[in-house]
Amino acid sequence: MKLGAFCAVTLALGCAAIALPSGAAQPLVLTPPVQANYMLNCMGCHLADGSGAAGKVPSVRDSLVILSRSSAGRRYLVQVPGASQSPLSDLELAQLLSWMVRNLSAQTVPADFTDFTAAEVAGYRRFPLIDVRDTRARLLQAAAGSFLP
Amino acid sequence: MNRTRRAGARVALALMASIWGARGWAQLPTDPPAVEQLPSKPTPHWVWVNDTSFFAYPDGRAFLVDGDSGKMLGMLSTGFSFTGILVPKAGGVIYSPEIYFSRGTRGTRTDVVTIYDAARLEPLGEIEIPPKRASILPMAGAQALTDDERFLLIYNFTPAQSVTVVDTRSRKFVGEIETAGCALVYPTGPRSFFSICGDGALLVTTLTDAGTLASHVRTAAVIDVLKDPVTEKGVRRGDTWLFASFEGVLHPLRATASGVEAGPTWPLFTQQELAQHWRTGGLNHLAMHGGSGRLYSIVHQGGPETREELGEEVWVYDVASRKRAQTITMRNKVGSIQVSQDSHPLLFACAMENNRLDIYDATSGKYLRTVEPLGQTPALLVTP
Amino acid sequence: MPSSIDALVERLARNMAQRVSRRSFIGGVGALLFGSAGVPLLPVARGESPTAARPDAAADPGDPQTCEYWRHCAIDGFLCGCCGGSGHSCPPGTEHSAVTWVGTCHNPGDGRDYIVSYNDCCGKSACGRCLCSRHEDDKPLYVPFRSNDYNWCPGSKVGIAYHCTVARIVGVAK
Repeated sequence: MKLGAFCAVTLALGCAAIALPSGAAQPLVLTPPVQANYMLNCMGCHLADGSGAAGKVPSVRDSLVILSRSSAGRRYLVQVPGASQSPLSDLELAQLLSWMVRNLSAQTVPADFTDFTAAEVAGYRRFPLIDVRDTRARLLQAAAGSFLP
Repeated sequence: MNRTRRAGARVALALMASIWGARGWAQLPTDPPAVEQLPSKPTPHWVWVNDTSFFAYPDGRAFLVDGDSGKMLGMLSTGFSFTGILVPKAGGVIYSPEIYFSRGTRGTRTDVVTIYDAARLEPLGEIEIPPKRASILPMAGAQALTDDERFLLIYNFTPAQSVTVVDTRSRKFVGEIETAGCALVYPTGPRSFFSICGDGALLVTTLTDAGTLASHVRTAAVIDVLKDPVTEKGVRRGDTWLFASFEGVLHPLRATASGVEAGPTWPLFTQQELAQHWRTGGLNHLAMHGGSGRLYSIVHQGGPETREELGEEVWVYDVASRKRAQTITMRNKVGSIQVSQDSHPLLFACAMENNRLDIYDATSGKYLRTVEPLGQTPALLVTP
Repeated sequence: MPSSIDALVERLARNMAQRVSRRSFIGGVGALLFGSAGVPLLPVARGESPTAARPDAAADPGDPQTCEYWRHCAIDGFLCGCCGGSGHSCPPGTEHSAVTWVGTCHNPGDGRDYIVSYNDCCGKSACGRCLCSRHEDDKPLYVPFRSNDYNWCPGSKVGIAYHCTVARIVGVAK
């Protein structure tokens, strides 16, 4: 089944990349920094595929694309405490959010999606969000509404 | 001890002695079944030893000890991942946030606040709350009463962060207040408390008179999370909370009409002491004697990664002059301390690694007595 | 991408039971290096035991059943290797809690900094053996994603009964 196979791939590939058999010269494959940043700052709760834990940690697999379409949504993605309070620089956070949109979304990323920039992140990040749950619900609701004919 | 019962027994014995007279005793009298009861008011030298029973997590306990006699007076059974009881100054009851599973370690989880009769140590009732209470070690920041003791605040972590509010007057769950990105509860007034946020800012929550959310205000960052964060184990004196950082810098956070203000920090260790790798150690490692302004701090020598290790000394500071006033050498390594708030205070000390409670004179530092065995992993000491 | 990894990816992709969209691979090899943090590490597909042959001792020095083992640099709890699991697998009948915190530990054997996921195994009372509490570069409770002082079992389905902790490599930082 899909998840089991995914498990096999990751475990096997992880071992192949890191567990060097004696005597074999294998190239080192570093985790790319932006992905390492996802692991260290986000993956613990949002999980490797962004699916989170129902009722406890929101999934980002659908919301990333939806929220990144509007400036209010993009502002939310920067201001949500997990992002804004992370030890990442504005540039690192911009790169991470862009990576998340492109790699953790269950939906197709729109062709006109523009990556986050450090300046954009800096602008939003100054104002941390307190009312997270309601803001997220409102934004997703508004986005859903905008799809109605 | 129930003096009434004892007095009654003595009268009975005296009567029987007078009846037997010159012939003396033929046999001892029978003992009627009896259950002890605590006096209605605690003495200042009582201490509650909150034991999270880490090796038997479903079975948390709070032990009541008389610091003067060294006697165990009673106990509460307090459920899963126990983080501490609350003993209101008004007396009469004790509040205990508790967690239970329908099958012990699995099944349906139910979180309650149990209300105990403070003299009989029996449950009077319970208030069901969302099954979200943070599963962490016992500490004061996990659960608190607002300053008028009307509202009970409980830190939730699912890992979503929020605070449960319970009205102790109506004995009802009021609501859950979202505190995204911020942790724990530190009361600052009858309707206010702050939480510490991941970027080093404070989130000040103000409640309405009914205990619902009135306002949320974030301060600027007052803690340097990346370089030298404070531990969660702050202590309070009046309107000021005192937090110690990993490197022993004392951060006073003072409640004001508009929120919380960070006061000037000061070091617990001189440059020389830092060079000798002195640092704070243990779990609930600070204690504050409000009346004298003396701050007690468990210390040991070690590298940065040893900050939760036990210490063999307690250093006492005068917070007014910000100077170390005294060194108290511990008989055993300790991780949690507390002082009574009277004018001849006792210093209580324990460690999760050991099952004993050590008692010292908090003024002279003189070792007085040890109560052992006591508990399994005693972690948080609370004086009523 | 190094060609050997390319070839390996291609071979494994052909073996996958169900087609995974090309998008899953766009994240690059890095995405697959995450480790299956969202999936319980139960008997590994293809019949491998979780305790199958480890890399040679020089590259991975030390005893995983000791507190001093390099991957335990910020572990706080009972070592699952002493409890019927291993350094990276849960004991039988416990749930591998996917939600957790992730840190970094330096491997003195190969000089690399590895990204380590400290997952709790949940659903039973304390294992009670090999209690290990280390704090290399972790933070207090108010920085949850960097804190080992939380019982991370609340994120599991079975609940907060904490049994032991594993330390799983999920990436290589440098």
